[in-house]
Amino acid sequence: MKPSRENITDVVFSSIDELNEMLGSNQRLEKSLHSRLLGQPNGLDSLGFINLVILIEEKYFERFGYRIVLTQTSDKRLEGAAFESVGNLVKFIDSSCPS
Amino acid sequence: MKRSALRGLLISDFNLGNLSGYLSNDPSQPEIQCELGPYGLVAEALLDSDLPCWKPVPDFLIVWTRPEAVLSSVRHVLDGFTAKEGLITQEVNRYSEAIAACSQSVKTIFVPTWNIPTIHFGQGLLDLAQGAGVSRCVMHANMQLLRDLDTVPNTFVLNASKWIELVGEGAFSERLWYLAKIPFAHAVFKAAGQDIKAALRGIRGEARKLVVLDLDDVLWGGIVGEIGWQNIILGGHDSIGEAFVDFQRALKSLRQRGVLLAIASKNEEAVAWEAFKKHPEMILREGDFAAWRINWKDKAQNIADIAAELSLGLDAVVFIDDNQIERDRVRQALPEILVPDWPLDRRLYVRSLYSLDCFQQAFMTDEDRLRAEMYSHERARKNSRAYASSLDEWLQTLQLRVKVEPLGDSNLPRATQLLNKTNQMNLSTRRLTEKEFRSWATEAGHHTWVFYVSDRFGDSGLTGILSIEADGNRARIVDFVLSCRVIGRKVEETILHCAVEWARRSRIRSVVASYSETPRNAPCRAFFQKSGLITRKKDQFAWDADHAYQLPSAITLVSSMDGAPFEVFLEPRAVEVTRIGHEGLGPFDSN
Repeated sequence: MKPSRENITDVVFSSIDELNEMLGSNQRLEKSLHSRLLGQPNGLDSLGFINLVILIEEKYFERFGYRIVLTQTSDKRLEGAAFESVGNLVKFIDSSCPS
Repeated sequence: MKRSALRGLLISDFNLGNLSGYLSNDPSQPEIQCELGPYGLVAEALLDSDLPCWKPVPDFLIVWTRPEAVLSSVRHVLDGFTAKEGLITQEVNRYSEAIAACSQSVKTIFVPTWNIPTIHFGQGLLDLAQGAGVSRCVMHANMQLLRDLDTVPNTFVLNASKWIELVGEGAFSERLWYLAKIPFAHAVFKAAGQDIKAALRGIRGEARKLVVLDLDDVLWGGIVGEIGWQNIILGGHDSIGEAFVDFQRALKSLRQRGVLLAIASKNEEAVAWEAFKKHPEMILREGDFAAWRINWKDKAQNIADIAAELSLGLDAVVFIDDNQIERDRVRQALPEILVPDWPLDRRLYVRSLYSLDCFQQAFMTDEDRLRAEMYSHERARKNSRAYASSLDEWLQTLQLRVKVEPLGDSNLPRATQLLNKTNQMNLSTRRLTEKEFRSWATEAGHHTWVFYVSDRFGDSGLTGILSIEADGNRARIVDFVLSCRVIGRKVEETILHCAVEWARRSRIRSVVASYSETPRNAPCRAFFQKSGLITRKKDQFAWDADHAYQLPSAITLVSSMDGAPFEVFLEPRAVEVTRIGHEGLGPFDSN
């Protein structure tokens, strides 16, 4: 069964919690759909971003039993707005999940 | 007293940013700030101390590399060729030499062992073959690394395989590797960070020293007061009984490493001891416990009493109880005590004990091995106090003997441990590594002695340190350290006697001491205030060395040299010997 958007949001938020354990207090990502993911101001640096994406992939597998791959650069959608904010990322994952 | 954050330098051929993050954010002590060395430049970073990452010099260094990145022989084997073990040895030697060179300037170095990703385990029977086996090659490299670094001071090889095994199948992450040059999953770095922090606490003398145990359903199954010792669950052909035996064995092994065991249990004392005495599968016996309170009183009060009896701070104590209400009560009443959650399944007790990362030690001395016995002697000693009419009479009956010798290679590890662990009778509370202490002691004008205390009940071992900085007509006592095990037996006065005698023989006019306050060393101030030294201003004490400071009559003072009086180490010539040690002829014979 396809995970609900709420379930996907849970996975992303719990990944943000784990990511924040590695980030300095002024680098932490706020757990909000409006949080900016990349670039200034308040976005993650490249290492933080990669860590978050991998954490989401792992947690998604743990929770739902199948893998999503967000890190394939061949996916043209990733060049767009998908990684601009946490909310956009949740939508992107939702749209990528098989029904 | 809050200590400033430790600065760590992380050198690697891969991205250690995640370890840096975990180390810096972990809320446990010590607080850490990390600096990453130049990415991928391991040899350059180790050998070039002019690089910005070395300024200021870090408190500790972590050198964590992939074997295939720093050993061309391993790369060769991974590519399907063979490599002679002699070549691997030579490459590891060079790597170790670069690390050893850093040990000249940095206080503590951690070197995790090498591992290769599990994707390389596809060699089957060849994996452990001579010449071509990848795993064999890495095993050989790790063994050589251990041999090389065994003798490098303040350098500790850490078992990275443990972190990888803890995480399991996903420990190596190809995705993190290809995207960010991070070979391991987050959980590996998290485990590594926790281990490194625990190691730093151990090195700083902040390890827990006492485990206080409940009895029923902790050391054995069942309520001994209700079912009798014959029916408690311990050993036998029973999975739970075997688990209790293994748990007792694990506790006994902790005791062998110098961690004290004590009992706080709501029971009838005679019934509990009968079980220890008579049950054939009991591993722990009365002599294994340094103290106990087996009664019906409040456990928090009992534990506080035990800590006071053993002269330990509450922050040195771990309390293990199967009863959640008792655990919560102790947590609430004595928050400094570590009270771990304890599993309902008795078969998980050993795992829970070993998962506590609070007993780390940098090294193990004879004193550690004998500590539990020493506390047993102390109990006999205190019992004898009841039969004496005065302190002096009691001290006379003890037949106290204090042996003094200069700080040297043979006593440096224990002296450093004592310096870093002692809180109460400690004038300046300096915390130094072996290397720093040794270096300070061999500077011109610096003189350091250690003191061994024994009496008719037993040997307390190396329990005192005196260090002096001589400057013209003044001898300043820098370290005045005495283990709490021997406080109050006139050993304090004996150490002062030695300081003054040394000054007199060196024609120095005055001995001064400056007390440096910490939250724990009030007993030291109290001693100096009643020591007879003149109080010049607040916490500044002085003695005119034209006058002798009397050796307590109950003390026999000797030197460590057979037959020689203790004064042999106080003669000016001995001062020269201590100083010449800097050149390799004196107490420090390996410099």
